[in-house]
Amino acid sequence: MPAKHIRDGVIYAATHVPTMSKITIDNKEYAFQGQPKLLQFCLDRGVELPHFCYHPALSIPANCRQCLVEVGMPIRDRETGEIARNDNGEPVIRWMPKLDTSCSVDMADGMVVRTHRTSEQVERAQQDNLEFLLINHPLDCPICDQAGHCPLQNQTYKYGPEGSRFEFLKVRKPKKVVLGPRVMLDGERCINCTRCTRFTDEVSKSHQLTIIERGVKNYPMTAPGEVFDEPYSMNVIDICPVGALTSIDFRFRARIWEMSSAPSITVTNAKGANCAYWVRDNLVLRITPRANPHINEYWLPDEDRAAYPRFNEHRPGGPRVRIAGELKSVGWEAAYARVSELLGSVEGSNVLFLGSPYATVEDNYLLGKLAASVGAPAPVYIPHVEPGAGDGWLITDDKTPNAEGCRRLGIHPVDPALVHARLEADEIAAVYVLEDDPVASGLFRAVDVQDIPVILHTYHTTNETIAVADVVLPAAMVVETVGTYVSADGYAQRVWPAKAIVGVNRTLRMEMGVSRPDSHGTPFDRWHNASNRVNCKPSWEILPAVARSMGLQSDDASPGAIMQEIAHTIGAFEGAAYESMGAHGVRLAEIGATV
Amino acid sequence: MKMPSPSRNGSTKAGDWRSYERVLLPPVRDLHRFDVYVKHGGYKALRAVLTHNRKWAPGKVTEAVKASGLRGRGGAGFPTGLKWSFMPPIDPGTPRYIACNGDESEPGTFKDRQLMEYNPHLIFEGILIAARAMQIDATYLYIRGEYADWIRHMEHELAKLYMEGYVGKRILGTDFSSDIIIHKGAGAYICGEETSLLESVEGKRAYPRIKPPFPAQKGLWGRPTTVNNVETLACTPLIVNRGAEWFAGIGPEKHPGPVLYGMSGHVERPGVYEYPTGMLITDLIEEVAGGVRGGKKLKAIVPGGASVPVLRADMIDGVTMDTESLREAGSMMGTAGMLVMDEDTDMVKFLRRVTRFYHHESCGQCTPCREGTGWIENLVTRIDEGEGTLRDLDILLDLCDQMEGRTVCALADAAAWPVRNTIQRFREEFEAKCRQSIYAMA
Ligand SMILES: Cc1cc2nc3c(=O)[nH]c(=O)nc-3n(C[C@H](O)[C@H](O)[C@H](O)COP(=O)(O)O)c2cc1C
Ligand code: SF4
Ligand code: SF4
Ligand code: FES
Repeated sequence: MPAKHIRDGVIYAATHVPTMSKITIDNKEYAFQGQPKLLQFCLDRGVELPHFCYHPALSIPANCRQCLVEVGMPIRDRETGEIARNDNGEPVIRWMPKLDTSCSVDMADGMVVRTHRTSEQVERAQQDNLEFLLINHPLDCPICDQAGHCPLQNQTYKYGPEGSRFEFLKVRKPKKVVLGPRVMLDGERCINCTRCTRFTDEVSKSHQLTIIERGVKNYPMTAPGEVFDEPYSMNVIDICPVGALTSIDFRFRARIWEMSSAPSITVTNAKGANCAYWVRDNLVLRITPRANPHINEYWLPDEDRAAYPRFNEHRPGGPRVRIAGELKSVGWEAAYARVSELLGSVEGSNVLFLGSPYATVEDNYLLGKLAASVGAPAPVYIPHVEPGAGDGWLITDDKTPNAEGCRRLGIHPVDPALVHARLEADEIAAVYVLEDDPVASGLFRAVDVQDIPVILHTYHTTNETIAVADVVLPAAMVVETVGTYVSADGYAQRVWPAKAIVGVNRTLRMEMGVSRPDSHGTPFDRWHNASNRVNCKPSWEILPAVARSMGLQSDDASPGAIMQEIAHTIGAFEGAAYESMGAHGVRLAEIGATV
Repeated sequence: MKMPSPSRNGSTKAGDWRSYERVLLPPVRDLHRFDVYVKHGGYKALRAVLTHNRKWAPGKVTEAVKASGLRGRGGAGFPTGLKWSFMPPIDPGTPRYIACNGDESEPGTFKDRQLMEYNPHLIFEGILIAARAMQIDATYLYIRGEYADWIRHMEHELAKLYMEGYVGKRILGTDFSSDIIIHKGAGAYICGEETSLLESVEGKRAYPRIKPPFPAQKGLWGRPTTVNNVETLACTPLIVNRGAEWFAGIGPEKHPGPVLYGMSGHVERPGVYEYPTGMLITDLIEEVAGGVRGGKKLKAIVPGGASVPVLRADMIDGVTMDTESLREAGSMMGTAGMLVMDEDTDMVKFLRRVTRFYHHESCGQCTPCREGTGWIENLVTRIDEGEGTLRDLDILLDLCDQMEGRTVCALADAAAWPVRNTIQRFREEFEAKCRQSIYAMA
């Protein structure tokens, strides 16, 4: 089959050579194919045009009227189809009598467009429209969550009028309306763009929102007695171009400029939806979607966003070792020494290594290496699948982010019956757990392992296996590490650290420098401080240290280098590299990885 | 019925209108009843169209409507036959619709109601002829919700039609089938805008659609649809019965036919009057409606519903009710619902009432209309209450510029025109109110 590629929404087979059309925008010529919409075409080429109601994933109602431009077409001879030319040989343009909304204009060959850059009429129309948009807007930016990343605020600043001539009472509308458990409406801030209602009609298809009232009293609402509680409700907060829709959980918690946002993925399930983690003082305050056309487009389920407290709460405070029946805090070196002591006291082949679908590919790979070097069987992992929980969209039955990564490493789901039998037969002499909770998961009971050494990498102090652990090694979570996850659909995606941990790791510091200045701030701003740092380490730092303390040869390597090694040695990762994953991941099957 | 004489007496393009015989609202008792209508030659046109397959092949009906020169009576005056010809070729499996517009909410307009009350079967017959001409599967007859009595009455008559086999499956025993569904409005002016009406019929919030695509391409449920006013379609049985030439011979050449004039305001005999198009405005006021109330002097008229520009008394000499003449005079035919105002009328108050209407009726979809209509009402109200400034007048005219031609539908234009024209044509009255105000110097 010929390869297909998508350009401006039109799919072309590579064998088909499409005819090129030309459009002139602000005296500059552009080539195009198909029939793209003018606004999207401009935005794709960095020609900014103010707009509010247009959203690439939604239908085009052209109701905000902000994106007006002048549009003209060359006059053609009716019979010959020849373009009429003036004395200078330039095409004669017939301008449309009215300004047109660029969001809804279908581009055509020969079209000529003037934006505010070359047309005073357009510039004036944009100002006029913003004046209208603001007359009934409360202008309460100082207390509005949207301030600082508000399309209305930004575009008013760039394209709006100097002041307002409106000298009347503004329209009063309901405020603090609880639309549902997670979304609150301020009717007065709403500019009636209908993005929210179109989302519920066209994307999530819950049809839970509609505009009620008429004219200047309009605002979005649910049907009487209905609650806006669909599993994707919070997406309307992101697409609302003003602060009319806010998160009940997040509102008034932080100003946008106090936080940094790092690109990453959500780990609530196996979809690998792209997100940003918003951090202030090393606490994750919220999770928002990051556009990825292949995985989650612009959306994120509410359940993914609700997961942020797990990065802040019940986090451990450094390694602990069981001494005389009690867990005691120790330094990292002491903890490694104890692990080496415990593992050294048993037959290597009798150690049960549990990998983790919560942990990165790199971490699981290093665990596999450790297991091999002590002569243990390959690690297995505990699956966390809730049949029926998925929705075929962004929520999967699998509640872990990296089961597919484990599988590709040769780490397979554990056979509980076999573990049970081996425990009964005293064939398991020690257990080494990468982030997971075998006791809570029911793989074995605490009493089953209380007489054998248990070494546990953990994210949380609530882990029930801690009760029987001999060494507790706090591990860095997705927001604190660098590494790769493979989604159920086979996308390998790398993550960047969003917040700092205790201790110095050069790789983390460098990666943090890359991730955090993206949209808000740098690692040297005031929120990058000592508060709320968790005393943990990435497992890719812990595992080599453990190996060395056992006298094994193991160099520290950055996750990027580890991935290189994986790509060279494991067919299922062939070709995988941080460079190819970039910010949006790569489908392993497409780069030639086997399996 | 005797045909009105096509002869002209030279004084008006409406010909000898005094001897005009009514055809839309003929003086027949109980004509609203099916049996009476049939007894007086009703459904003859439909029968002809359905049975004379050669003379009245579907394309020929459209040709006749084109030749008759009929223009839409809903306000925009678009040539009806031309509109019908925009319907795409038949595609088996793709239903086609008519949306018949009886939403009638334009201030000063109440002529469709008269048809629904006195001659509803002419509407039904007109719909069925149009349905035949365009091969329509179903017609949605959208009636203003406030017309509850007439809706009930029409539903009753429609039920009879279904029983008698005049509508529905195999009409009059022929192989032509077409349905009529009466759809009630719920009190919104905007539902009369053609694409808004389509949304409303589909059960959605009646936000007008952007055009293109036009209804003929993508109308009801995305299918080919033609939107026509009630009075427009009521003309088609007449064209079939009496011929396109007859129709074209009534009134001025470019805007012919019988038309229902809705006379209201300060006249002695307000009401709906059927006459040819092209009537002298002065004849309509003085002769037809009995003159200005109480013998007062005329101050202004609005010729065709609140949306069209107001004319001063000194602007109407020799002006006739048709597109051409009214355009030259600086206004439009609109719905032919004429509002008459006497010398005592406060034009600021008039405009205040009109702006209140548009503020109340803007659907609120587009920014300029949603925000502009309210701001305008605020300004006019302030001027009327003696708190305006001369600058307010400039702002008002500015706001008209900011709204006109920049929205999805024509309501914003319709809201801006009266403001611009009333201020321009009665500026001294507005200035006087501003000068009296406590802020006069501002
Ligand atoms: C705001 C607005 C309201 C309208 N209301 C009506 C109405 O109540 N009845 C009507 O027939 N046409 C109304 N129209 C005109 C319709 O959009 C449409 O042009 C008409 O129904 C077409 O029918 P015609 O071609 O037979 O005149 C309205 C238009 C606008 C912009
Ligand atoms: S609440 Fe926001 S998204 Fe919804 S219509 Fe209003 S401005 Fe648009
Ligand atoms: S112009 Fe006014 S009435 Fe028409 S769609 Fe826009 S907001 Fe609605
Ligand atoms: S973006 Fe709103 S009208 Fe084009």
